[in-house]
Amino acid sequence: MSDALGLSALPRLVTQPMAVFKALSESAPEGHRVFFQLILPLSLIPPVLAYVGGSAFGWRLGGGEPLMMPAQSLTLISLAYFFAMVFGLVSSAAVSAWMAATYGAQRAFGTHLALAGLVAAPVILASAAHLAPHVFINMLVLIPALIWSLYLLYRGLPEALAIPPERGMLMATALAGYLLVAIVSLLGITVALWSGGIGPAIGV
Amino acid sequence: MEAVSPSPSDAPPLPKPTGGKAVAADRAAGGTAGERYHDRVASWLTAFAMAWSIIGMTAGVYVAAELVWPTIDFGREWLSYGRLRTLHTNAVIFGFGVSALMGTAFYSVQRTCHVPLFAPRLAWFCALAWQAGVLAGGISLLAGWNGGKEYAELEWPFDIAITVVWVCFAIVFFGTIAKRRIKPIYVSNWFYGGLIIVIAMLHLVNSLAIPVTLSKSYSLFAGAQDAIVQWWYGHNAVGFLLTGGFLGMLYYFLPKHAGRPIWSYRLSIVAFWAFTYSYIWAGPHHLHYNAVPEWVQSLGMVMSLVLLAPSWATLVNGVMTVAGAWEKLRTDPALKFIVLSLAFYGLATFEGPMMSIRSVNVVSHFTDWTIGHVHSGALGWNAMITFGAFYFLVPRLMGASLHSVRLANIHFWLALAGTMLYILAMWGAGVSQGLLWLSLDDIGELSFSFKDIMASMAPYYALRLVAGLIFLSGALLMAYNLAMTGKGRRTVAASPPATAAA
Repeated sequence: MSDALGLSALPRLVTQPMAVFKALSESAPEGHRVFFQLILPLSLIPPVLAYVGGSAFGWRLGGGEPLMMPAQSLTLISLAYFFAMVFGLVSSAAVSAWMAATYGAQRAFGTHLALAGLVAAPVILASAAHLAPHVFINMLVLIPALIWSLYLLYRGLPEALAIPPERGMLMATALAGYLLVAIVSLLGITVALWSGGIGPAIGV
Repeated sequence: MEAVSPSPSDAPPLPKPTGGKAVAADRAAGGTAGERYHDRVASWLTAFAMAWSIIGMTAGVYVAAELVWPTIDFGREWLSYGRLRTLHTNAVIFGFGVSALMGTAFYSVQRTCHVPLFAPRLAWFCALAWQAGVLAGGISLLAGWNGGKEYAELEWPFDIAITVVWVCFAIVFFGTIAKRRIKPIYVSNWFYGGLIIVIAMLHLVNSLAIPVTLSKSYSLFAGAQDAIVQWWYGHNAVGFLLTGGFLGMLYYFLPKHAGRPIWSYRLSIVAFWAFTYSYIWAGPHHLHYNAVPEWVQSLGMVMSLVLLAPSWATLVNGVMTVAGAWEKLRTDPALKFIVLSLAFYGLATFEGPMMSIRSVNVVSHFTDWTIGHVHSGALGWNAMITFGAFYFLVPRLMGASLHSVRLANIHFWLALAGTMLYILAMWGAGVSQGLLWLSLDDIGELSFSFKDIMASMAPYYALRLVAGLIFLSGALLMAYNLAMTGKGRRTVAASPPATAAA
């Protein structure tokens, strides 16, 4: 994989995003190299920032004092966050590679993995907001980043996978649908764990 | 039935007004000379639906604003949250939703049966009486008449009027099916038919009440029985009206847009029966940890989980149908709405069963997560599929091309942004509420007061207000676009094809 697709590509996602996806389309990177050069470093960013923010200030959910967690549970939560990030990016790439057959797109896993990383990059970088651990501030920062990610998904996917924009629109929507379901599953699993006594102490 | 794959019938992309020559040619072909589809009633229902969408969404935006600034009811009862919120739900479900369903059902049942409507005057009566009923009903809600049953708030005189109109709807619809010239009943008609029959059943049972005065009645049911009947009604109204009815719309308009038959017709029929069978049991999941027997709750939960299978069978069918028709996206701005509606349909039909799981429900119930879930269905699925259907339907009814494709494209992004923001705001609010309400401190007492939690929700509610405004502005653009498309025109005449395929 060329250097053009490592972390150094991220600033160009803002200045000339289509060039990045075009480069991806032409380079056909290998899966494991994308994983180590792009996916792993990206996945580290949010949990580290969440740990720093959480230990320094405590999470403010609204409604009173900030929630201060002991270092041990904070470490555990950050670790779980890291694995969730890796799993989320890799599984999205796998789903995307699986869908590629239906939409006549390139099927090389490395390409899909790099696509997942690049599309998610704005949201991941916006996790800088975790340094100010207030749920609403995080939403205010993450929502515009999410819009930028969605834009990259709809514009970048057809470019990266070398398919017409119309087919790209269908595939991007199918992927967005998958991501929505994945996010809501994560919410559901989290809440079910709380009810099961894992996580914050709640009276159920 | 043999393995036929009927596709929704074959009116040309833009029906031209048929003059005398065409009728003569029709006669020469030995066909359906002189017969005309009754499309004007569908045109009017489309216009009524758009009007109700604006009224209903405006009421929604106003109550959203009241949750941010509680004093903007200015001390007037009719502007209070309790009355305006019921106006919002009734206007969007019964005004917008049912008018759209009635209009598209009248339009599509003629074309899938190759015959004009049975009893067209009765169809006009249905259309107009329904509008009068929703209008008067809305005013009665603002005046404080309220039967106290959610999504069935209208008082007994309206319940009787609704029953009369609904029976007429059934006569027109099933009468048309009965005189059809195409033997198989196309799948969209199964869903529309299911809608008519089940809503009749739900409405009749749930509305049983003893009138005391003109504006007040008392339900025949009480206590736990009342709760079970209410949610049997409430959840199946979601099921057979907001899901099943709109699936009828999907199964007609998606293949029409895509210009190809349903990916698997057999799967669509299997999904219909599985959907119909499993949905009817799911209501008790609204009553987890309430004073109803535990086995009833478990039954509701299990059947809700089972429901995922037929819901997603339809999703797969829709996604695969449109996957082969991607070229159409170049020329058809409306197809995008249908594609997107499928994504949100997938989300909502997954989220619902998940929230019916008791250990999730114990946290999510009574929070704004539920409101978010409802709106991922209502905005992302119901409104989006209706927008897609109307952008297709109105140019064809009016015999003109859409006034502005650009405005429709802008509307698409406004609808997407509004829906996403709404859902995200409510997820944030709902999960926070669930956690904060239940949080215990070291000695086992609640950590936070309800009042403080309520106050901390204001930013989320502000975000939701913005989301609602964005979505409403898209609907306004659409209303303008469609009005300009039809301006100064009359509904074009269209005839059943001369040779009726069997």
